[in-house]
Amino acid sequence: MEVDTVTDSRIQKVNSLLKDIRIDYDSLSKPVDSFVSSIREAIDAIPEGFKVTSELAPSFVRDIGADKVEFTFKKPNGFNLCGSYSTRCMAKPDASVDLLLHLPKECFYEKDYMNHRYHAKRCLYLCVLKKHLLASSSVEKVEWSTLQNEARKPVLVVFPVKKVDNFPGFSIRIIPSATSLFDVAKLSMSRNNVRSVTADGVAQPTPTYNSSILEDMFLEENSELLKKTFSVWKELGDALILLKIWARQRSSIYVHDCLNGFLISVILSYLATHGKINKSLNALDIFRVTLDFIATSKLWERGLFFPPQSESPVSKEEKLQFKELFPVVICDSSTLMNLAFRMTSVGFHELRDEASSTLKCMKLRDGGFEEAFMTKIDYPVKYDHCIRLHLKGKTAMSTSGFCLDKEYWRTYEQKVHSLLEQGLGDRAKSIRVVWRNTNQDSYVESGLSVLNREPLFIGISISSIENAFRTVDIGPDAENKTEALKFRKFWGEKSELRRFKDGRIAESTVWGTQQWTRHLIMKQIVEYILKRHLSLSSDDIVQLVDQLDFSLIYGYKDPISTSGNLLEAFEVFSKCLRGIKGIPLKVSSVQPLDSALRLTSVFPPEPHPLACGKIDAQRLQRVIPSCIPTMEVMIQLEGSGNWPMDDLAIEKTKTAFLIQIAENLQTIKGIRSTATENNVDVFMRGYAFRLRILHERGLSLVKREIGPDPVKHVSSADKMLFIRSQHASMINGLHGRFPIYASVARLAKRWVSAHLFSGCLAEEAIELLVAHVFLTPLPLGVPSSRINGFLRFLRLLADYDWMFYPLIVDINNDFGRNDEKEINDNFMSSRKGYEEDKQNISSAMFLAAPYDKASEAWTSLSPNLSELKRLVAYARSSANVLSKLVLQEHNDSVQWECLFRTPLNNYDAVVLLHREKIPYPHHLLFPSELNQGKHVARGKASKAFNPFLLPGDLKRSPEELKKKLMVDFEPTKCFMSGLQEEFGTLKAWYDHIGGDAIGLTWTKHNSKKRERDEEEVEINPIEMLKAVGEMGKGLVRDIYLLKSPRFL
Amino acid sequence: MKEGRKLKKSNLHGGFASAQVVEKVQTKMKEKVSNVVHPQATVQAITPNRKKVELKKKKKKKKVAEEIGISNEKIKGNKGKLNKAKNKRKADEISSGPVDGHLIKQTDDDTNVANDATETRNRKSKKKRKMKLTSTKEIEKKNKAEEEEEDVYEISSGDEDCSRGMKKWVTDYYENRPGLDELQKRIDDFMTAHEERLEQEKQEREAKAAEGGWTVVVHHKGRKKTTDAESGTAVGSVSQAALEDKVAKKKKTEIVGHGFYRFQRRDAQRSELLALQTKFEEDKKRIQQIRAARKFKPY
Repeated sequence: MEVDTVTDSRIQKVNSLLKDIRIDYDSLSKPVDSFVSSIREAIDAIPEGFKVTSELAPSFVRDIGADKVEFTFKKPNGFNLCGSYSTRCMAKPDASVDLLLHLPKECFYEKDYMNHRYHAKRCLYLCVLKKHLLASSSVEKVEWSTLQNEARKPVLVVFPVKKVDNFPGFSIRIIPSATSLFDVAKLSMSRNNVRSVTADGVAQPTPTYNSSILEDMFLEENSELLKKTFSVWKELGDALILLKIWARQRSSIYVHDCLNGFLISVILSYLATHGKINKSLNALDIFRVTLDFIATSKLWERGLFFPPQSESPVSKEEKLQFKELFPVVICDSSTLMNLAFRMTSVGFHELRDEASSTLKCMKLRDGGFEEAFMTKIDYPVKYDHCIRLHLKGKTAMSTSGFCLDKEYWRTYEQKVHSLLEQGLGDRAKSIRVVWRNTNQDSYVESGLSVLNREPLFIGISISSIENAFRTVDIGPDAENKTEALKFRKFWGEKSELRRFKDGRIAESTVWGTQQWTRHLIMKQIVEYILKRHLSLSSDDIVQLVDQLDFSLIYGYKDPISTSGNLLEAFEVFSKCLRGIKGIPLKVSSVQPLDSALRLTSVFPPEPHPLACGKIDAQRLQRVIPSCIPTMEVMIQLEGSGNWPMDDLAIEKTKTAFLIQIAENLQTIKGIRSTATENNVDVFMRGYAFRLRILHERGLSLVKREIGPDPVKHVSSADKMLFIRSQHASMINGLHGRFPIYASVARLAKRWVSAHLFSGCLAEEAIELLVAHVFLTPLPLGVPSSRINGFLRFLRLLADYDWMFYPLIVDINNDFGRNDEKEINDNFMSSRKGYEEDKQNISSAMFLAAPYDKASEAWTSLSPNLSELKRLVAYARSSANVLSKLVLQEHNDSVQWECLFRTPLNNYDAVVLLHREKIPYPHHLLFPSELNQGKHVARGKASKAFNPFLLPGDLKRSPEELKKKLMVDFEPTKCFMSGLQEEFGTLKAWYDHIGGDAIGLTWTKHNSKKRERDEEEVEINPIEMLKAVGEMGKGLVRDIYLLKSPRFL
Repeated sequence: MKEGRKLKKSNLHGGFASAQVVEKVQTKMKEKVSNVVHPQATVQAITPNRKKVELKKKKKKKKVAEEIGISNEKIKGNKGKLNKAKNKRKADEISSGPVDGHLIKQTDDDTNVANDATETRNRKSKKKRKMKLTSTKEIEKKNKAEEEEEDVYEISSGDEDCSRGMKKWVTDYYENRPGLDELQKRIDDFMTAHEERLEQEKQEREAKAAEGGWTVVVHHKGRKKTTDAESGTAVGSVSQAALEDKVAKKKKTEIVGHGFYRFQRRDAQRSELLALQTKFEEDKKRIQQIRAARKFKPY
């Protein structure tokens, strides 16, 4: 009762969705009818009796291989509206109304079902219509399109001159139908009707070709049937719209070899006529039942058969025959044709997968509304490994032309699919090959070969990283001669006979590569196979795998490849620390805090020759950086009651301990260190570790009891340390579960900082966002490649509803109902002020993690609302560019670089730094230049600092040299903190990894405050920028003013 | 990069021997020298550029590489004698100016285009072509702008004084690292001072207490304090945390499962209903908000 209405707030959402997506038919019927009638008039005005020859579309007729195509023109047998407009189930932004045109019987001979003659005449007939429609005054333009991507079946799309206001893009598709044109018996599935389809001289059946003609013959009948079912059942129509929205969001199933609007309505009406759905269900329930039917029903194995019109039921043999010929069978009421004859088994498999994953989402607590209807699942976001084959002019044509039983492109799709399936084996979970190529308007006139222009798309879902990264594929045993021969034939010179550890001697392929390039193995394999079997060149094969790697690599390799050393050094270091004896309290545990120690740092530090125990004179020949970054490490000491009480004294005591540790390491192990009043940095094997002590009170946070009790008081420093250690260990665990996580996190961090958001989004927050992508992947699978993971990170940033929902990152899967409620309460209280003032909220980006349910750790202060807005806008634009790059033709590296190159004209002022004064110049992605705005100031570089040791320095004694090494010295950071202190009205955007540009924006004042300000200080932006330059002198190269603040 | 362009300009202006230009060139030279002190550094800084040039102008790239190579060698030969090198190199630089300038123009174009990239990526190639066409014009414009810009504020390198900028940060860095012993001493000093202060405070308090002979007793609301405020040790009964723990444990070990008694079930049902109701209200509110934001458009 009440519960029922309460539980489904989803229904509300669905209703709103339907309201937005439905079309108002009453206001439409008039313009549609008038346009249809004007089309009819135009067509009826065509004089009859003239001869139509192949001259109207000679290349089309030639390419489909038809002979004898002349006919005398007759007017069509009539028109009627069909499709989703007639059933009132159109879903925006669909705006084409289907108009059936009955081809006159007089134009066709009895035997025209043979050898594509019907298809040719059908096309020529449309050519005549097109010519005359173009002359009509109410027609703006006429375009060619195709019926379900079948090139041999073109249709006309007619656009009116008079636009309909609330119906943008309105057009009418003229679809020819061939009701009772031919004898259906001649078109039965076992017959051959294309004479060139032979195997060893024996004619083969042409079921696809036959179905293609039968489809036209029963178009009218089937659409009438649908009209009947849907006109009396509103909920069914609503469910159809929902299913359409659902399918349209998934480009891998809403495609020619899988689902389309017509098939969805067929499936729905099948369910309706077979009593699988009853009238009491609402639209959402019907939606769910249908998905469930698609995903789980056993009926698909037998095939779906509509009740036949004639009395004789479909015989078992006929059913079996359908099942043998087609992977999916939906037989219409004529019992003669399979409506799903275009569906492939791969497509159907994909469809079932999508349906079941959506059902999974709908079982979640919030009902899966977003996942089912609002999330776009296109190829780039769905597939881990995307490939485009550019086949224009490259494919060796099959000798007998484009169209046999199946069209040439469909056969090619199949061929590529089976090649890849064999070559990749268990590395791929699923492979999808789609050549969506009939968007070319001119193909009817200029021949079918123009359709090769579109690239063929291949999407691969990786089964598991271990499989994908495997270096050796073991084939059949050497003794199994036939299999071995087959293997060798497939792999060519790549196959080698190898003896394995278990004594087996077998054929195998070896894909040798380095550790950090193992994500390229699949690329290597695919390229090898396609080149070998399809005789393509490397330029034709575009694989989207490593295009983003440039942002992580410098020199010739990824710095992550030295991380093994780093972790080893850390191990040794922590052993040293735990072994120290000469201090009052022993070190009880050592935990890593820095992201480099969990492999998610964009540039993990590399061993520095001056930070080793001994300085190796020979290694000093190279160029040596003068700075070394530090990595924070947290230690805990044995318990003691002698700690002082107040925070400051505790911090001092901690430093005192650290100094003692440092001295101890120096005297006993000879490990050097350096210290300031706040930090102690220890050099170990070429790395610098910065030590932090977690006070034992910090541990009380484990129990999550932070009450007002003074005993439990934990200083903010300790609290932060504790949170960071929790974060570090959780992310480290994540890295173990998802091997690809680290590289995605690195890309994400690089992107955030490259767009100067370093000050807005903490690294840890980025790690949590990426973690969310991996932990809550529904409705997709877990990402298994860099580009895919990165794209999903961008989409998450761009599409998530940050204002109204908290982002819950449940790392170890241990949130219960109460936790969720707690988080939700925290979230609600952070949004309390929203009602009065939309700006008045805390944690604009609410990130809840197991160790931080109130989003206090990383995002409470930044990003604020305006920063978040900017971040989201950048993410959206980058995500769009990335998706486009995956799908479309550009493959020059410049386009890819754009993802990480930030436009500098979006700031009010820009400060450019001296590139050679940045401590790690090789981290710089792109040197920035600017030639717009007003050049306010120009600065000279300081001589006080150089990122590399001078040749003169190298001659000094090792001791002096060591002093030259600067630990964690970052002029940019110094500059930024100075800016923050002195220029409150300026907001600075910077790149902490190593950018040479800083963007400045004027922060907005409240209107009241502004009035006061104007009286007190007149801010001159130019003077202000000059002062900024003065503060950063020696580092600042140029300052440009692009926009003056508004209050001036 | 910039220097190159400027140098070229100074060439273009040729006879226009205004003192300012000369001065500019000289100051630029100074920078240049400080740049080339570290051959690799500059090379590395340039690499991203070079990559792009590679795509378009392979020949040019070779030239640059050679040039850099040459200048590197030179610098190596002259290291230490930078001041002398400065004058010598001036001529070299200027003669190599135009080539550099040309290159730089190209790369500049690239960066410009890319800078606008987020908005105009699609039209990129077109734009690039345009840019190239207009680049000569632009240079003229730039020259003009340059002349107008002569009031550009010059910031000194700041190497003379330590009050601001890079020099200050470097000095700060070294000042902050006086060595372990010194730091230890500072901490010791702090601790003694701190202890003294504490001692003093305590004495004052005691003195106060002794003086008046009584202390103000504050009424505590609620639970009796069980811990000593100063030392943090438990003095009274069990701590609250322990109590909560106990309660939590107790709850878990109930003999009959939840929902055994009818009132329990009724309670549970009611609370669940309440929770659902609040959730529903929440959702309703959110939907209104979302609708206001016109979010129901999956296309």
